[in-house]
Amino acid sequence: MDSITTAASVVAAGLAVGLGAIGPGIGQGSAAQGAVEGIARQPEAEGKIRGTLLLSFAFMESLTIYGLVVALVLLFANPFAG
Amino acid sequence: MIDSPGLCRELRCLVCKTTSHYHSETPIGGIFVASETVENCSSHDPLLDIDSSDSSSEVKSDEYLELQFRVFRLAILLTIFAVGIAGFFWGTQASASLLVGALSGIFYFRLLARGVGRLGTSSKIVGKVQLLVPVLLVLVSSRFPQLDLIPALLGFLLYKPALIIQFLLMP
Repeated sequence: MDSITTAASVVAAGLAVGLGAIGPGIGQGSAAQGAVEGIARQPEAEGKIRGTLLLSFAFMESLTIYGLVVALVLLFANPFAG
Repeated sequence: MIDSPGLCRELRCLVCKTTSHYHSETPIGGIFVASETVENCSSHDPLLDIDSSDSSSEVKSDEYLELQFRVFRLAILLTIFAVGIAGFFWGTQASASLLVGALSGIFYFRLLARGVGRLGTSSKIVGKVQLLVPVLLVLVSSRFPQLDLIPALLGFLLYKPALIIQFLLMP
């Protein structure tokens, strides 16, 4: 792998993780805030709120995982490496 | 010397009596409200009872655990089905990679569920430890020649159809 490909892969891996984590981070924070407020206001619905929060987190965090996988593939199993 | 629970009880009774007097002066429904508030003052209030909230929290945690078990059961069924299909069409190496990926996906979901379960009680944030699971999966898949990367990643994402099905089946 030549130096330009290596440098581009490292930069792309960092961008993939960094930019991919911004949106899910904001979304998870606001979702957790809403869930904790909901549990505090309505403690009898805690199970349903936690379940919905778990499903939402799983869907949101998959976006981070996609970026993470792209970054790891670029770093450890780069298809552009000659 | 008045102890603090006794003082609180006296204060609550005073508030109840004041409220009942206030409501009894209202022209409509005053008698009903007054009798209700006096009864609340003399009887045991379940909203302020800590013991009754313990039993309800057990019910809530049971509901949350039941949701987790349903997702796990569905994910395991999907894993068995997908591993069988992959072994039939693409061979044992692809099915082994898919199995490893699916098991790591279930483990990731278990860690995520534990983090969500702790949220608000013993932790204020959801931990990020579960994100180490796909990292380790990619590292192991790239290091060991017995495992393929693409089937392992597809197997890791097998918990997502289980979640979608569970989300659609939720009342």
